[in-house]
Amino acid sequence: MSALAAYVGLLGGIMVILAYYVTTIKDLVYASVTLALLGGFNAAMIALLGMPIVGTFVVIVYVGAAVMFIIIVISMLGGGARETREEFRGVATGFLVASALLTLLMATGLYVAYTKPGTYSLSSVSQVLASRYLPALGVIFIALAATLVEAISIARRAE
Amino acid sequence: MAMGAVSAEVFVFAAAIAAIGAYGVTASRNLLRLLLSIEVIFNAILLMVVAALASNPSLGAAFSIVLISVVSAEVIVVVAVLIAFYRLSKTFDSKSLEEGGV
Repeated sequence: MSALAAYVGLLGGIMVILAYYVTTIKDLVYASVTLALLGGFNAAMIALLGMPIVGTFVVIVYVGAAVMFIIIVISMLGGGARETREEFRGVATGFLVASALLTLLMATGLYVAYTKPGTYSLSSVSQVLASRYLPALGVIFIALAATLVEAISIARRAE
Repeated sequence: MAMGAVSAEVFVFAAAIAAIGAYGVTASRNLLRLLLSIEVIFNAILLMVVAALASNPSLGAAFSIVLISVVSAEVIVVVAVLIAFYRLSKTFDSKSLEEGGV
């Protein structure tokens, strides 16, 4: 067993446990903090697979901004509210999703996609984005600007 | 151990995390828990994307960065909607949405 496989196994196991806690811990503040931990371990796993720039981006943008925003909002609104659960429906859906994903994995042969840690740089990533995918990037920028206006509009309407 | 086995390991963990997220989405009626569970699914999908596009890391990194940016924006909008909903109904229970909202 290689060291990479051992580290992937360790990080993956921790991530599965954290994901379980995010969906089951009663206090939503603790659940959102656990989500931040899950994002951190996800970044470590991504860096381990050969994409440290993406891992850094996950920590800075996703964990540092989006998940922190969720934590602050849940802390302000109160995370200890009562919660109704339907366990059977959840477990059945979980099994269905896992079966579908694993079938897709086996059918498409994606499980051999990772051959070796790749080499890339910030300039090669920006080159891909700015040349081949420039129209898509433009659409995404417009969509994100519209999303920002939408969020401000929704938040102000309720005042 | 072959690298393909590492890829399979990553995909199996990602599928397990996505399944746990799907369990959270359907088991709970709390809208905040729904948001957290959707974020768990996003983490699994991001892991799958990185593993699937590892053979072309420039494309994989570009795609992942766009994915993370869009999901972060989505979080802001969903939280804005939840705050607006909470101000009107004083609850996060999705049952009140099914019954005609506020």
